[in-house]
Amino acid sequence: MTPSRSRLPGILVMGVLFVGALVWWRGCDPAPSSSLAGEPSTPANEPRERGGQAIASLRAEPQTFNRLASSDQTTETLAMLMQGRLVRINRSTFELEPWLAERWESNDDGRTHTLHLRQGVTWSDGAPFTSEDVLFSLRAAYDPNVKSPVASSLMIGGQPIAATAPDASTVVLTYPSPSGPGIRLLDMLPILPKHKLESALSSGRFAQAWGSSTAPGEIVGTGPFLLREYQPGQRLVFDRNPRYWRKAANGDALPYLDRLVLEVVPDQNAELLRLQSGATDLTNSELRSDDYIPVRRAEAQGKLTMVELGVSPDADAFWFCLKPEKKARDPRFAFVAKREFRQAISHAVDREAFAQTVFLGEAVPIWGPITSGNRLWFSPNVPRYPFDVARARQLLESIGLQDRNGNGVVEDQVGTEARFTVITQQGIGYYERGTTVLREQAAAVGIALDVVPLEFSAMVARLLACDYDAIYMRPLTTDLDPAGNLDYWLSSGSAHLWNMRQKAPATDWERRIDSLMHEQSAVLGLQRRREIFTEVQNVLAENVPVLYFASPRLYYAHSRRLRGVVPSILRPPVLWNADSFSISSPR
Amino acid sequence: MKRAAWSLLVLIALAALAAPWLAPNPPNRRFDDLLYAPPTPVHIFSDGLHAPFINPLRLVNRLERRFEADAATQVSLRWFNGTLVTADPDADAPLLFLGADGYGRDIFSRLLYGAQATLAVSLLSALLTTILGACVGGLAAYVGGWLDGVLSRVSEFVLVLPAIYVALVLRAVLPLVLPPSTVFVLLIGIFTLLGWPIVARGVRAIVLVEREREYVIAAHAAGASDGRILLRHLLPASAGFLQTQASLLVPAFMLAEATLSYVGLGFPNTIPTWGTMLQDASNVALLGDAPWSLAPAAAIFVVVLGVNLLAQSHGRAPVQLEP
Amino acid sequence: MARLLARRLLFAGVLIALTSSSALFLARLAPGDMTSQLGPFASPVDIENTRTRFNLDRSPISQWGLWVSRAMRLDFGESFLYNRPVAPLVVRAAGNTALLGVVSLLLATLAGLSLGVFTGARSGTLPMLVRSVSLVCVSLPPLVTSLALVFLAARTGWLPAGGMVSSTASDQTWSVWMLDVLRHLPLPVLALALPMAATFERLQSQSMADAVHQPFVLAAIARGVPATRALLRHAWPSSLRPICGVYGLAIGALLSGSFIVEFVTAWPGLGRLTFEALRARDVYLVAACAASGAAFLALGTMTGDLLLAAADPRVRQESVG
Repeated sequence: MTPSRSRLPGILVMGVLFVGALVWWRGCDPAPSSSLAGEPSTPANEPRERGGQAIASLRAEPQTFNRLASSDQTTETLAMLMQGRLVRINRSTFELEPWLAERWESNDDGRTHTLHLRQGVTWSDGAPFTSEDVLFSLRAAYDPNVKSPVASSLMIGGQPIAATAPDASTVVLTYPSPSGPGIRLLDMLPILPKHKLESALSSGRFAQAWGSSTAPGEIVGTGPFLLREYQPGQRLVFDRNPRYWRKAANGDALPYLDRLVLEVVPDQNAELLRLQSGATDLTNSELRSDDYIPVRRAEAQGKLTMVELGVSPDADAFWFCLKPEKKARDPRFAFVAKREFRQAISHAVDREAFAQTVFLGEAVPIWGPITSGNRLWFSPNVPRYPFDVARARQLLESIGLQDRNGNGVVEDQVGTEARFTVITQQGIGYYERGTTVLREQAAAVGIALDVVPLEFSAMVARLLACDYDAIYMRPLTTDLDPAGNLDYWLSSGSAHLWNMRQKAPATDWERRIDSLMHEQSAVLGLQRRREIFTEVQNVLAENVPVLYFASPRLYYAHSRRLRGVVPSILRPPVLWNADSFSISSPR
Repeated sequence: MKRAAWSLLVLIALAALAAPWLAPNPPNRRFDDLLYAPPTPVHIFSDGLHAPFINPLRLVNRLERRFEADAATQVSLRWFNGTLVTADPDADAPLLFLGADGYGRDIFSRLLYGAQATLAVSLLSALLTTILGACVGGLAAYVGGWLDGVLSRVSEFVLVLPAIYVALVLRAVLPLVLPPSTVFVLLIGIFTLLGWPIVARGVRAIVLVEREREYVIAAHAAGASDGRILLRHLLPASAGFLQTQASLLVPAFMLAEATLSYVGLGFPNTIPTWGTMLQDASNVALLGDAPWSLAPAAAIFVVVLGVNLLAQSHGRAPVQLEP
Repeated sequence: MARLLARRLLFAGVLIALTSSSALFLARLAPGDMTSQLGPFASPVDIENTRTRFNLDRSPISQWGLWVSRAMRLDFGESFLYNRPVAPLVVRAAGNTALLGVVSLLLATLAGLSLGVFTGARSGTLPMLVRSVSLVCVSLPPLVTSLALVFLAARTGWLPAGGMVSSTASDQTWSVWMLDVLRHLPLPVLALALPMAATFERLQSQSMADAVHQPFVLAAIARGVPATRALLRHAWPSSLRPICGVYGLAIGALLSGSFIVEFVTAWPGLGRLTFEALRARDVYLVAACAASGAAFLALGTMTGDLLLAAADPRVRQESVG
């Protein structure tokens, strides 16, 4: 029996080979180029080629194809591909564009709007599009059996919009009270075919109609694409709608593409790899700052085009639960409820350093929920809290918080420490980095924060029950117009983060905001609305129930061969304009 | 080979225990301008032989993660100054043997500190799981009959249970902030309770055969008690399998610890572990640019190697059948 | 034998029922429910409607009772995430995973067992190299392996970087479709089979090293039986015991699907479906996935026990059951 030889040499060889392979692999990659600016999107007068197929990647599958039954993000994206609306808010310029309604007149008090529908539009199955379809869609949206999430966005002061159709191509809308946004609200209403869905509505089964297992041929629309096939878990395939009404500025029939494929790729890393390798042409979400380098490299190699979308309209928020019913017995509530406490934290955070660490420098400091990405409503003169540790300590002392026992954490007169747990969603790099920075900077003024990342549903459960001290997350805005975000601003709102669904405003300043927001959504005239809203932002900034630190700059990338991309800071970033896509060399 | 394996493991354990002294930087110290920084090379030549020094790494572009070594400045190293070796604390240039992670923290130091939690949890859990599984599997096979049936079905049930829900429910009923010692005991408990069926099944298969052997019958005839037969004869027959299985459990538990921390049942952020370090590094698009962030995978590999070598050396050397 | 099979089937049925019921109860116990998926700021009306639709407004016992009575009629409830009945979803996903699982299992068994026999019975540089590779595969996290494979596929373009079927092949003839699936298989199969093969190799190597020392093997050699035949005909069958013990678990685990591999390679399988369902607290889908996981495990352990009896005649008949 031969004695066993030493096994170490073999393993060392393996190790050296492994390390060597990594080093060689690394050496093969060219250094990234240094400039930051992305290429602008296609010049308008470039001639476009017809035909071909574009492949996009989606992170989630749709819950249903019925936009009125769900507010799921993917369903909304698909509705933009398959359905039309009366008017469209251009997601890049935020101008109101005529869509299925060609032109309209409003009377002076802004309560009656007469819309003239476009002539010659047909549904994808050939049936003519008429005002009956508009009335039907509105009826379906308001129907109590449907319980549509769209309904509340289409109500003015809790009342529905009344609609009549004097003839097949005219619709008269009567608003119950003056509305600031006016016609712009109609961007939210998808126009659905009466001839396909009437029976479902009358039998009370509208909410289940057009579910995700519907046969593709049943889904009829006025949008640029038709659903050809849905392979659950894998992809959605869309064909060009030959009956699409829209034409390009130079008269070309739209869409240019013959086929659009949406691949389901749940993992963000894999999605990026596919984009880099050319397996997909575009994604449905913006890039993370960590992904900047590989995309930059691919751009230098001529495979991708990178675009800057702008400053994100959303920002990470940090707030304490300020519900008196839940927190009154908590001794810490006595000082948390005071605005000086929250102002002190705002002073304690160095927002520049925050932007550098959390977003690798690609972010702008902000002090309120409206960011500079929301050009129309952003107010640069909202009160700010510059980075000032001394001032923060001063504010804390003014409400009786001092470090009396020398342990680094401030206490009040009876010895209650300013120590809080902060819950956040697990697994998101920005949240992890953000809470790390926040914790360190709060510790510098004597406020101890313990960060506990939780799984999403567990976090939401605690959020709804006010079963938390503080929370750090990014609430997503769907509408840039503040009148579309009343749930956040009004004290009775379901998104009034720090104290949701109040029966009556708990504080004076919340009462003030309530009345200002009601005024703002009823007044006509953009200028006046902006003035009122600036005052709302000021009140919020003075009382600082929620803290905001930095808002990231968003980037997006797509393959070079894709043309006609108009990026937007809202979601979906590019699929909202899919009818203008073309491939520069069709397969 | 046994000695080599033992020395490797003992070395790692000592390194883990001595982490506060061996690590050049505190594990949670963030260097804001050095996110994803590459390893710092140590130079000993500068116009001839020189005491070891490093050049500070300056950030050129944060978004592109480009750094430049400042060749003009030389930062000397301090030895035996609280830690074995570290860069001059006055200069703003840390000694990063394995570079920095996405928060700017020294990977090498975190690896050393992380060894404490990771090794303790995974090695202890593997040991306990093996013991529990061996006992249950051996008992089931030896006694047979209805006990075997019940235990086998229980083991299958434990395996199929959605463990993640158990973890979530635990997370909900326990207080939000758990002291590390509680987390430690909790993790070991969860791993043991969910991991024993794997061991039990293998042991059961072995003991089922062994109990028919002549020496067992002989021991019975000689009057040995059941317990003695089980412990002294049957379980040692599965020693080879147990050792191999235990060595397979160690990396599995290291990684499972990271999964549990995803659900919120892990150590707090201030205590590094190899599993969570790997999760942070799982953005594979960066692997080509920052291969040093895979250091935890290498560390796991080294430990698994050591455990495997140890396990193997207890078995008999392979027989050479050719003359 | 038939009686044993019937008893095992009965037990399997009990296991399935028990597992899916526990999944249902655990889902109620865990914090949050499917309405969290509507977003933290959904209107109370939406939340109430969803709860009523899925019977979450009733007590857990009452909900379970309703579910059982509907299950008797083969109606396993609806999925909240996908807005369609649960059964077809699970069946389709299970089929995709089964394809992956069977191929991976075959590959892992062939590679793992044969390599294990080799390293268990020989010493030298080559067995040592094989052992080292095995160790690497065993200690690499599946997340890193899958991502690395996707990375390789994307960089080199040799294989599609994920998915099961290309968009171009879906409306072609069956043979084209099959070929396309075959092109997409290697990536997830490798990710699954590598660690499994390494595990088998380790186990086989250890038990082979033990088995080779058995007296009857040495006796066979003394009789003049050639070494290779002694190895394969005499030593190897008795070395299969512990492997058969865990083989059943391997079958069960592979058929239930590895979430990580399916997630990263975008394979539309049961593992990914289970995880999405768990994350969204989609109760009926979770129950169905748990039930199928239990079914596969029961199938796997039954197979493992049968293999054990077949491989080693020393195991008594009554032990199989």
